[in-house]
Amino acid sequence: MNRHFRSRRAVGIAAASALALTLTACGGNDAGRGGDAAEGAPSPGITDDSVTLGITTPLSGATAGPGTCTVAGIQAYFGAKNAEGGVEFGDGQTRTVEIEALDDGYDPQQAAANYDQLKNDVFAMTAGLGTPTNRAWRDAAIADEVPQVLIMTGDPLFSDTEQSPWQLGFVPIYQNEGEAFGELLAESGEEHKVAILSQNDDYGEGYVEGFKSAVEGADNIEIVEELTYEATDTSVDAQITELANSGADVFFNAMSITPLVISALQKAQQLNWLPSWFLPSNTSSPGAILQPGGAEAFPGIYSVSFAKAPQSPAFAEDEDVQAYLAALKEYGDYQDPPAFPHCQWSWMVGATLDQAFQEMTEPTRENFMEALRSIEGYQAPLMLEGTSVTTTEDNQPAVSTVNVQKYNGQGYDTVESFG
Amino acid sequence: MASSSKTSGPAASASTSSAPSSSALSFKQRPWVRWGAPLLLLVGLAVLPLVMTESTNDTLARIGVFAVAVLGLNVVMGYTGQVSLGQIFFLGLGAYVTAYGVSQEWNIVLVFALTCLIPAVAGLVVALAAARLGGLAIAMVTVALPIVGVPLAKRLSDYTGGSQGLSARFVEAPEGSGLYDDQWQLYIVLVVGGIVFLLTSLLVRGKYGRAFAIVKGNENVASSMGISPYRYKVLAFTIASLIGGVSGFLYMVVVQYTSPETMSFGHSIELLVAMVIGGAGSIVGSILGGAFYVVVPDITNAIDPSLTALLQGALLLAVLFVLPGGLVSLPRAVMRGLRRSTAGRGSAAPPTTPSPTAGSGSATENPETERQGHV
Repeated sequence: MNRHFRSRRAVGIAAASALALTLTACGGNDAGRGGDAAEGAPSPGITDDSVTLGITTPLSGATAGPGTCTVAGIQAYFGAKNAEGGVEFGDGQTRTVEIEALDDGYDPQQAAANYDQLKNDVFAMTAGLGTPTNRAWRDAAIADEVPQVLIMTGDPLFSDTEQSPWQLGFVPIYQNEGEAFGELLAESGEEHKVAILSQNDDYGEGYVEGFKSAVEGADNIEIVEELTYEATDTSVDAQITELANSGADVFFNAMSITPLVISALQKAQQLNWLPSWFLPSNTSSPGAILQPGGAEAFPGIYSVSFAKAPQSPAFAEDEDVQAYLAALKEYGDYQDPPAFPHCQWSWMVGATLDQAFQEMTEPTRENFMEALRSIEGYQAPLMLEGTSVTTTEDNQPAVSTVNVQKYNGQGYDTVESFG
Repeated sequence: MASSSKTSGPAASASTSSAPSSSALSFKQRPWVRWGAPLLLLVGLAVLPLVMTESTNDTLARIGVFAVAVLGLNVVMGYTGQVSLGQIFFLGLGAYVTAYGVSQEWNIVLVFALTCLIPAVAGLVVALAAARLGGLAIAMVTVALPIVGVPLAKRLSDYTGGSQGLSARFVEAPEGSGLYDDQWQLYIVLVVGGIVFLLTSLLVRGKYGRAFAIVKGNENVASSMGISPYRYKVLAFTIASLIGGVSGFLYMVVVQYTSPETMSFGHSIELLVAMVIGGAGSIVGSILGGAFYVVVPDITNAIDPSLTALLQGALLLAVLFVLPGGLVSLPRAVMRGLRRSTAGRGSAAPPTTPSPTAGSGSATENPETERQGHV
């Protein structure tokens, strides 16, 4: 029995030593660690005929819907470009663009792991959704000098050039949205009393900060009451009742929880309080929120946007929209009509990257960042009239202009003035 | 008993070492194996970070983090039989304490001490109340921890950075060591994690481990033997919380960022799954559980990133179906299969034969305290 046992053990030890030797041989030269490359030498993930982009985004779990869109849009954009032969870069080469997307399930730890896995194979990281999942590897990306650009978060940190030299946010920060509505209101010239209800975190605070900075100094606007709620609250009836008492005729509602917005709309109607109502872009869906909430009862529901809504009849004949919907089906592996605006945003990310690629004169990450930060007033496909991509402004994301829109019973129309 | 033959091992070695076949000692109890195998393991672990690629080192370090977290869960669940769904809360708490301490530029040793202390005290307070309840009621109380923890972390934004979380990049390889950051991180995880594993394996092997086992088996029997189930449940829970806190410290070493998402309830369930998959009530099972927790999302990502949830579910069912005792029972299942195939010789070892995994080292020396496979 002993002999029997020992021979097996000996084989095991031999196998283990062989494995260890192989590993030593493979890893001997610090394999996988990119040292400082020579000046002008190509960065990882780019060759003379292709460039690879990495994405870590939630493809499973509660945020899988928007997350899937962030991949589908850019995949559709570059899928269509690759079918035409590729993108012509500023250095004269024509390259195809490959996308490597990994699922992080909105888990920061997994996002950081995905980044570690991708960083030596991709030229740049892009388009990923989520504030914590992007923050998790922001420091690492700065240390490794890997671009983390045009990502989908309203967190202002990513647009702070000083603190985030290798980062750039894509979508408007929360402040931009609040500010746009505040400006419209201040320009109306009429007396307005405003009630504010905001989520008690950086999301709500960002909206309120932007709104207040816009109405500051406008004599016609008075903020009569300001309340908050917690993201975990199941009801805001008490706050709505209190705000209704304030006699406000405009209600600035920075809320990110879909069911709470619906119940707030209904509660206000029960109380017969019918103010003009502002909602953030992510909780202003006509089908999912405004119709169930009975929003027609109010004199006006306002929100902001910078993307054309592909379902809207107004854009049914639009060339951009048609090309986009066709590519999304064919190359984006997204068969249904896009349910989230992130699909459109991701398509615009593709177009913006395309612009930067055209300006690149060297196949390096440094040069790419320079090119990316020099885009001014580019109207990407699917962008609404009056909005554009501008990357040259400090402390602003790539898209910082939004149009205020008013609900028309079915969709939204861009408005020039309040009322 | 195995322990008695073990103590006689070194004394007998002088006379028997030259004549191996005549010895009554099994291979595993030979002194040179008993000391050599752990030494070999130690040398292997010391060399490992130097020869691996950066991404392998990162993966190994993350496995270490979650192996420690699963080990904590094993103390309270695998060994003491009390269902805890709150382990991720203590990991998150440890991570937040570390991040806050680092942002205040406290001494790192003090930070580490606090990462042990604060989660342990929190665990003690919860356990004092929860352990009075029986059975699943404890599970219900512990469910509340991550559910309360997430909004709390968002609310206490002065300390936690709110929903934007805290970054702390404090682990850099010392100047002149010639190490890369990832190697240095892995060393820290190996040393801290190794000490936690060693202490825990000593704990569950000694008199506390036996007391935990009796509390798990039958509380009335425990009481009749003068072992207070309440006190030992509190003790197990506190130790589990402390280990959870340590895993939070390691989490910050490796991931360097924490946010309320870190302690979301889903991860608590995933830790529980990892423990069962690895092997409940087993030291080696904790390492396997940590590996499962970390590697499976990477594997499913490599197969098809849009089907990760589905593939993980399928894999979970497959493992539980094939190996109900968890991955740790794999060598034993294989041995059983081999023995069956060579049946007829009549010389098969009894089922308690130590598992032949070389990597398990000292942890599997005494299989009798390793009650593998039953939650």
